[in-house]
Amino acid sequence: MGKVFKLALMGTAIALFAWGCSKEKPETDPQPKTAEAPADSSLNLDALIADTLSADSLARLEAERLEAERARLEEMINRIMLEDVYFDYDRSDLTENAKRLLAQVAEILVNETRFIVTVEGHTDARGTEDYNISLGARRSSVVREFLIAYGVDGSRLMSVSYGKERPKVLGSDESAYSKNRRAHFRVSIANND
Amino acid sequence: MKKMKLFFCAIALMLAAPTFAAIDTIAVDVGISVFQTMPIGVVPFEEEGSIKWTNEAPHLILTRDANLTGRFEAVPSDKFDLVLFSKKRARQYVTGNAAKLSNGKIKLDCYLYAAETKDLLLGESYTVKPYDVRQAIHSFFDKVVYRLFGERGIATTKLAYVSKIDGMKQVVISDYDGFSRRQITRDSSINTMPVWQKGNKGLVYVNFRKQRPNLYAITFGGKETPLFTQYKQTFSPAVNPKTGELLFSVTEGAKTEIYRGDMKTGSAQKFLHLKSNQVSPSWSPFASEVLFTSDRGGSPQVYAVGKDGTDVRRITYMGHYNERASWSPEGDRIVYTSMDDGKMNIYTCALDGTDIIQLTSNAGNNEHPTWSPDGKLIAFASDRGGNYQIYIMRKDGSGVTRITNGTENTSPTWSWFFDEKKFK
Repeated sequence: MGKVFKLALMGTAIALFAWGCSKEKPETDPQPKTAEAPADSSLNLDALIADTLSADSLARLEAERLEAERARLEEMINRIMLEDVYFDYDRSDLTENAKRLLAQVAEILVNETRFIVTVEGHTDARGTEDYNISLGARRSSVVREFLIAYGVDGSRLMSVSYGKERPKVLGSDESAYSKNRRAHFRVSIANND
Repeated sequence: MKKMKLFFCAIALMLAAPTFAAIDTIAVDVGISVFQTMPIGVVPFEEEGSIKWTNEAPHLILTRDANLTGRFEAVPSDKFDLVLFSKKRARQYVTGNAAKLSNGKIKLDCYLYAAETKDLLLGESYTVKPYDVRQAIHSFFDKVVYRLFGERGIATTKLAYVSKIDGMKQVVISDYDGFSRRQITRDSSINTMPVWQKGNKGLVYVNFRKQRPNLYAITFGGKETPLFTQYKQTFSPAVNPKTGELLFSVTEGAKTEIYRGDMKTGSAQKFLHLKSNQVSPSWSPFASEVLFTSDRGGSPQVYAVGKDGTDVRRITYMGHYNERASWSPEGDRIVYTSMDDGKMNIYTCALDGTDIIQLTSNAGNNEHPTWSPDGKLIAFASDRGGNYQIYIMRKDGSGVTRITNGTENTSPTWSWFFDEKKFK
């Protein structure tokens, strides 16, 4: 009983902490702070204000730079993760569309060397679990090989297969199947800076 | 010595099915063919006091066992009825007494009688907790099978399969009839492809918690251990019925190959040296040969190979997708899944790939066939009823019975016999 309570308490604490963290992020945005600076009273105030303003604006510039950088990375990651590479039935060779998309992904990865990418191979629901894992492996591998050939460092590229275990779309018609025969990218950022 | 006797018994049965009846003291005029079922009378137990059964009364469990195991056809009757039994050609019947004891347990006296003479052919007594009644009746039923056929029954065997619980694929086990279900895995990733360790000590299965397929072993009531962690992606486990050794698929890059490994030491080596991809290994009953699927011909097809990994021969030629072959415990046939027009169906064929029989058709997808350890039945997963559930059928495709319900159930694997020691 005590344990359960403790767990619940811990859960609440974690939730509060997470909430707190998420609240903090907008505060790094310095704009509201500058507005707070009092504008009247006292003799040396003008100099004081000038000082704080310049310090503030520096911090703001830095924060804005980081924010922009973060947004840029996020946008790139989203672009990579939202686009899946699609395959024909029981095939693991790249279609022309797939190659065009992969060239774009490769371009991002070549320029942004901090990205570590896992390529997941997936299949549609038809066929056995076992064969589909091997098929998914061929799909993820062909994508990885393409990116390496384009110039992406292979040590930043992992390939795994989920077979038919994780469909993107449920259903048993071609429109669902065609969306599930895919390679999906999972991106993380190496913290080597 | 006993082993020898059993062996000769088996040989005699195989060679001289029609004369089998002579071995027994009673006249049994059906062969051992599974295609013919033996009618058997089932009469409700006499109850002392009112007993509240956990799920079903003993005679209903016996009726289900009789019909489901593929050997019998139950002839239910409220009381002993020689006219009915004669008419239905039931030469034996089962019944018993049940009494509730002061300690809460239930005493079951179970009997097998010859209908005409009322000779007692078999009597067994069990004192069990109410929850274990089902297990006791299964156990009695297997003794009935042994008494009448001289073969081991499967009423005490179990199935492992994958069940969607709160949206997650978990490995569960249950009695062969779908009752007494128990959840084995409890983590929040995908669990699949369960197979039974030798001696039914536990399971080997695939888990995706590391965001890739990996083999794990779990002992019942014990802990889970990762297997063959020297490989990144492992799946398709198959347990050697003689040694417990494992065959499994390893994926590296685009290539998937079969390895053999020792679960205890963790050592493993490549089993097949082929250019093609290989999945779904399956041992022959005496572990002298292995079936597997390869795409060396451009499409997945079933091949056989010696246990040393040499002498590959192709088994299936019909169609463009034949996968997950499994060797009958009787040794004479192979069951596999074939895909045609995007639909999966179950087939059997002889060891050389001839004599193909389609067991399922026009009923959704039917896949992942697994033999009962006596080779009489095949369990499989089908979405014929809307969502995937586990079904059992006789090895000729007759008597299809659904044994699970609820959310999705897939990937059944039948256990080994549980009474291995008794029969050695």
